Amino acid sequence: MKTTFTLNWKIAGQAGEGVMVISKMMAKICKRHGLQAFNYLEYPSLIKGGHQTGQVFASSKQASCQKKDLDILVTFNKNGFKEHQDEITSKTLIIYNSDAGPLDKKEYSHLTKNIVEIPFRSLTKEKTGSFNAANIAVLGASAYFLGFNLKIVRKIIRDEFAGKGEKIIKDDLLAFKAGFAFAKKLGQPLKQTPQVEDDQILLTGNEAVGLAAIAAGVQFYSAYPMTPATALLHYLASQQENYPLIVKHSEDEIGAINHALGASFAGVRAMTGSSGGGFALMAESVSFASMAEIPLVILEAQRKGPATGLPTWTEQADLSFVLTAGHGDLQRVVFTPGTVAEHFELTIKAFYLAEKYQIPVFILSDKFILESHQTMTQPELKHNHPRQNMIKSAPKDSSFRRYKATKTGVSPRSIPGQKYGLQLTNSYEHDEFGFGTEEITPTIAQVDKRTRKMDSIAKEIAQPYLVGPKEAETTFVCWGSTINVVSQLIHQQSLSKKKTVNAIHLPTMWPFPKKEFTRLAKLAKKLVMVEGNQSGQGERLISQETEVVFTDRIHRYDGRPFYAEDLQSWLEKNSK
Amino acid sequence: MSCITNKSIKSPITPTWCPGCGDFMILNALQKALVELELEEANTVIFYGIGCSGNMADFNRAYGFHGLHGRALPSAIGAKLANHKLKIIIIAGDGDFYGEGLNHFISLARGNHDVTAIIHNNSRYSLTTGQSSPTTKKGTKTKSTPTGLVEKPFNPIASALVAEASFVARGYSTKFLELIQLIKAGVSHPGFSLVDVIQLCPTFNKKENHPFFAERIYDLAAEKHDASNKMAAITKAQETEKVPLGIFYQDKESMPYHAHLSQLEKKSLVDQWSAKTNIKKAIRKFR
Repeated sequence: MKTTFTLNWKIAGQAGEGVMVISKMMAKICKRHGLQAFNYLEYPSLIKGGHQTGQVFASSKQASCQKKDLDILVTFNKNGFKEHQDEITSKTLIIYNSDAGPLDKKEYSHLTKNIVEIPFRSLTKEKTGSFNAANIAVLGASAYFLGFNLKIVRKIIRDEFAGKGEKIIKDDLLAFKAGFAFAKKLGQPLKQTPQVEDDQILLTGNEAVGLAAIAAGVQFYSAYPMTPATALLHYLASQQENYPLIVKHSEDEIGAINHALGASFAGVRAMTGSSGGGFALMAESVSFASMAEIPLVILEAQRKGPATGLPTWTEQADLSFVLTAGHGDLQRVVFTPGTVAEHFELTIKAFYLAEKYQIPVFILSDKFILESHQTMTQPELKHNHPRQNMIKSAPKDSSFRRYKATKTGVSPRSIPGQKYGLQLTNSYEHDEFGFGTEEITPTIAQVDKRTRKMDSIAKEIAQPYLVGPKEAETTFVCWGSTINVVSQLIHQQSLSKKKTVNAIHLPTMWPFPKKEFTRLAKLAKKLVMVEGNQSGQGERLISQETEVVFTDRIHRYDGRPFYAEDLQSWLEKNSK
Repeated sequence: MSCITNKSIKSPITPTWCPGCGDFMILNALQKALVELELEEANTVIFYGIGCSGNMADFNRAYGFHGLHGRALPSAIGAKLANHKLKIIIIAGDGDFYGEGLNHFISLARGNHDVTAIIHNNSRYSLTTGQSSPTTKKGTKTKSTPTGLVEKPFNPIASALVAEASFVARGYSTKFLELIQLIKAGVSHPGFSLVDVIQLCPTFNKKENHPFFAERIYDLAAEKHDASNKMAAITKAQETEKVPLGIFYQDKESMPYHAHLSQLEKKSLVDQWSAKTNIKKAIRKFR
């Protein structure tokens, strides 16, 4: 496709009106047309009512985050006009659900040309006998205005509601048809969505972590529900019927991490996950995992804190905590993946490193990418992940040493059930067999042994990399999900042939990749840190680990993600 | 397979408990029970909490897991789910199990996970020099409660029963032979078994010594207590003047947690390990 096709659609309504379902379906439809798609959801921490939105940006080139200027805004009520006025342009088509009451002509006079009215609820009731499928009528109207391939849409409806019974699917198809037909009477389509081959999958960050965990051979996941990590619990729980996997909804987060540690000790690949508040409860056991050298993968899903904070909104403010959580000098790896595809890739790596080096490995991510759907190229289906540093058999003379002080610091591990492999996995400082000790020599030997592992680990982490043109006026530095927005900005600039910005993305924050980051930073003319917190936690780490100095920094800490448009304005304001 | 023997279970390390400590008797009873049960050495794992009792980790030569204070329980459950062929025993104290780990204890009982918890109940935090514990009597003066403990003691037997534990027993460290039998019955029970063991602490709980207990204890079985009757067990558990010993309750129909999981019907989880995975099924909904 020579020219870039894009579409930007948003729906606003109350919780319970099916906003999230329809938004995901819109993204899926775009994917099936062969487009890249991104679905961003905003919702308050309640079950019914409130103001909820879903928005889908799709492109034939790059769609790695949400965008502001809307092609279509569907609003179930008048709230949508007020809440999203910044995203409405002169070209935006606003589809208003007229069942929410007549619009005051004076109040909306400036939007007269933009608004069409469709009584989604009464229309659906008329065709199906209930209001349930009103959101599918929205899909019908949207499909008309965006020129979707209707075969694709119908297939998506069937897929989405498969298992809910033919009656529901029939009603949905009726509602879809009614919405489409009603829209057709109101005007011309805005776009004709092109169709190319679809070789992608569409999933959230949480789902990518779960899928990768399965690809990496996870057999045990234990967690206590907490937004925005809950979806990983749900996804893995749903996969128990397909894989040799146990998912345990634990009594609390302390139970969750210790369930996982027990399972890992017994020889299965194990993982736990939570958000910052739940993870805070796990901190003592992170220290234990490192001391006792038990492999563990942990998803830390950041949301806006401190404390209960803004439970359903995003932030990147748990970095300092995750880097230091747990008492004592301990070993860990902290991955901070950006795209959904990188969540997949680094979760596989996390399992590999956790087992190989017998340490806790973190996937530190946030609500923004963990709960947004993003397309990625479909990964390989077959995965091979052999055991790492586990003994096949132990010497018969009972000489097996679980914590042998090897050159690399990695000691071979036995698991219960293995003959002659007896060992004591110990939270106390211990000798090579695992027996507790308070003697000086074995204490130093074991501390040094565990510390040595970090040298080999540093060679295996994901290195920082440059996104965009080699040279640019400004180089943004980011970690975690922020790269999705920065990449979108860089892509937009490339369309207009500007080369004012590129970026360094850090997919690993610990052990900090000093050498490669410093090399990349030296190439930059002007370094600007972009991170989703108030205090600059990433920048503080970089200052601690390197000599790199930043010219400026952009922080966002209101629970909302960055927007490429805002970064663009910042660049314009701050360029000479 | 080789079974645990009197010789094989002894570690090279000499116990560090105080002279006269009830823990010696519990250690010996445990070792004896494991030998008499003819458990396979490779498939027996002991999880330890933190405290005087947890120090037993160094005195057994077995697969062991010396976890954190209060957290031996959830770790033991994780291991049991990963490999339900393992026989799993938890060694912890009253502070560990009934204090720090209380939420885990209740959850463990409700889940009926097939592990045996042997709780060294001396009504003191002895390793930290004798503060009050959840089972200390109201009014007791300790270093942390110099004017006398305000709280009433936690009742582990009654709590386990109302939390749906399927095997609940009380032993006494001085009643050595009976304790062996209780541990054996607990370990053989398919489901969660609690063996609360009254443990003498001659250093920090001098008043509740053997003469104190000698005039209070009695054997439930000798009194013809019906251990299949839960209400009778709850009534017995409320006794405070006398100290009943033996099995309060055993659910003969007990079905352990892991037996409910269809994933474990044929093989243990760890035995289903494969180095190769095809994500075809897992990826379907994302297409």
